[in-house]
Amino acid sequence: MPKDSPLKKGWLSRATWPSVIFLMLVIFVSASYTFAHRVVLFAYVEGDKVFTESYFSDGKRCHNSRIEVFDSFGKKLLEGKTNKDGEFSFKPPKRTDLKIVLTAGMGHRDEYTIPAGELPGEGNIGKPDPRQPEKMVSLKEPNGEKPTPTSQFNRVEIEQIRLVVEEALDEKLKPIMRLLVKRQNEGVSFIQVMGGIGFIFGIMGIILYFRSRRGK
Amino acid sequence: MHISEGVLSAPVLVTGAALTAAGCGFGLKKLDYDRVPQVAILTSAFFVASLIHVPIGPSSVHLVLNGLMGLLLGWSAFPAILIALFLQALLFQFGGITTLGVNAFNMAFPAIICFYLFAYAVKVRNNLISMGAAFVCGFLGILLASLMVAICLVFTGNPFIGIAKLVVIAHLPVMIIEGLITLFSAGFLKKLKPELLEVVHAKR
Repeated sequence: MPKDSPLKKGWLSRATWPSVIFLMLVIFVSASYTFAHRVVLFAYVEGDKVFTESYFSDGKRCHNSRIEVFDSFGKKLLEGKTNKDGEFSFKPPKRTDLKIVLTAGMGHRDEYTIPAGELPGEGNIGKPDPRQPEKMVSLKEPNGEKPTPTSQFNRVEIEQIRLVVEEALDEKLKPIMRLLVKRQNEGVSFIQVMGGIGFIFGIMGIILYFRSRRGK
Repeated sequence: MHISEGVLSAPVLVTGAALTAAGCGFGLKKLDYDRVPQVAILTSAFFVASLIHVPIGPSSVHLVLNGLMGLLLGWSAFPAILIALFLQALLFQFGGITTLGVNAFNMAFPAIICFYLFAYAVKVRNNLISMGAAFVCGFLGILLASLMVAICLVFTGNPFIGIAKLVVIAHLPVMIIEGLITLFSAGFLKKLKPELLEVVHAKR
């Protein structure tokens, strides 16, 4: 390394102090404003409807943003706009994997997939699936006998119990859903920020290491 | 400012990636290796700045600092911004890996323009001119980046004027704030460490 190289002792501290102070300031400010910047779409099934909530990850709701719903083959089923609280709900037109896509302007986009299994049973939406009652009956009649009036009656009762339980569960799970949404909303942690900065300085170290070896 | 994954079509993504690769190659060639620590520090500042959210205006916007990056780093801003955006995509899920090239170009290209327009003016002895140049540098960095985003979104079928208006208006508060940040940073450095304003590109 030539003698007059600025990399000699003291250069680091002398020339880069202002930047260090500036960086400290930035970290300090960001510690109180750990906000992130992206849109998040969250969707869940409640009763026979699908509810979606969309927000920027600083907590601001995306109002009047476009929501599109696609089925598993990529065919668009419906679309709509979020209200001022960033919410949008719809009745799924058929039982399939629903891909919900949020477009919030300026290149912001997020998607969320609800698997078909989470959607309400066919009895609740559209035309009923003819196979389903049969399956339920055969469950009650493992020996394959013809359904008796008693099993028919049981089936209706079971159907009703199922609905009541579902309703109660939805009610009980509501706070947990809210908590999940909030958790997802919390944004960036201090560890991630420090990790990123450490990464950058690691790259710097590698470059300087190879540089110094080449100089010898 | 960060365009999410799945918004842009493949040709736009590939073009952005190619332009960014070229810019980074040139930036690395121009990089003065004795300045690597400074580049790293500004990369960190850029990486963190996007977390500082500006709560004014209709949308969710944040600091970018690309004007300042260009002013202080010159062509080295290209690799610096690419690394910072890569980490933002990885750690914060801003933008995305496939849109990395486009996003990096959208922010780094204005930085280079700012460098060529203002790097000299900021060093002028007259404080009024120098500080004015610093403010406009920070302001223009965001304005140009917003227009770049608008141009990219045109290819998704949006009319340019409409989308440009939307993006520029949303970023107006950030433009002013970044103008002030660049003004104060440049003023501070000019008084205390004027040698930092001399962007030294490697003489090779």
